[in-house]
Amino acid sequence: MSASRHGLVVALSLGALLLTSGAYAQGSTLARSDREATANVPAEVLVVLAKEDEGKIDPALKKLTALRRPPFNSFRSMQILSRPKLTLTPGKDAFVSLPNGRRLKLTLLRVMPDGRYKVRAAINRPNKSDYLPLLQVVASAGDPFFVAGQSYQGGTLVVGVTVDPKKTTQ
Amino acid sequence: MQSAKTEDDKLQMFFDGELAPDEEAAVRRDLESSAEGIARLREWEQIRNAMKSVSSDWAAEIDSDALFARIEAEISAPALPKPAQSAPPVLHVVPGGRERRVWGAVATGFAAAAAIFLAVMAWPAEQVTPGIDMARGTEVLEVDFGANTGTIFNVEGGAGESLAVIWIDDEEVGMP
Repeated sequence: MSASRHGLVVALSLGALLLTSGAYAQGSTLARSDREATANVPAEVLVVLAKEDEGKIDPALKKLTALRRPPFNSFRSMQILSRPKLTLTPGKDAFVSLPNGRRLKLTLLRVMPDGRYKVRAAINRPNKSDYLPLLQVVASAGDPFFVAGQSYQGGTLVVGVTVDPKKTTQ
Repeated sequence: MQSAKTEDDKLQMFFDGELAPDEEAAVRRDLESSAEGIARLREWEQIRNAMKSVSSDWAAEIDSDALFARIEAEISAPALPKPAQSAPPVLHVVPGGRERRVWGAVATGFAAAAAIFLAVMAWPAEQVTPGIDMARGTEVLEVDFGANTGTIFNVEGGAGESLAVIWIDDEEVGMP
């Protein structure tokens, strides 16, 4: 009897070790992959008023070559209206007021397996969902994504969001 | 007229004392009326006496008190027999060794499964690692345009990375 009990204890211990190892292995794999964002990440929002009328292109935008490519290449003038910097706290909404009265809401959700950030965004008037109810993107550090199309003062608002702008992958 | 079988049955019942008194008297009279019947009657009586003698001898040899004591003991005994306390230890050693071998095999199986599991789990991580350096740009996972119409573009950035552009048409909103 004692031999069989001893064997049972050994087998159960190994089973527990297996499960623990499996969970650890899976956890470590998850740690290398998708994981909850735990640290604050800086971000920058670029608010540009773009018009098809002939005009100036803000010199600060010359480095953003993407703004000279379709669908932006029809604009002849670009003016930076604001360039707020903010800190994204995981799971907490951060707001940026836009000149047309809407607010951009940004939420840092996760860090993806490839190191990019999963971010949720929305652009609406306060307590409304009149423009962009939901947007989820993955963004590598320093690379912007754009939300464009809002009509404002005879032009179009182009909103660029860059997560972790100083830490680029280039 | 009675058949031979019926007559034998009645004779058997006569010698067993199972007939009614009037029938028994009638059968006895028939048997005693002939020499053959008298001989048969004596023969059957000898057999009966012999059997009574034998059964008396067997009954004398049986210790009835001991027999009833044994019956009572077996009736009052529990339905499931208790395991013998003085079981030979060697009978336990042999299956115990088998169990040990079985559990050893189970433990070895667990260890092998753990090793394979860990190897499988570790393998994709090695494959993923190079991809981390290649992750660039921005990408739309989900978008809800609400009541508006919209388009998703991928624009090439300065370093060749793909940048997401979400273009949504709307009417101009006034200042609040």
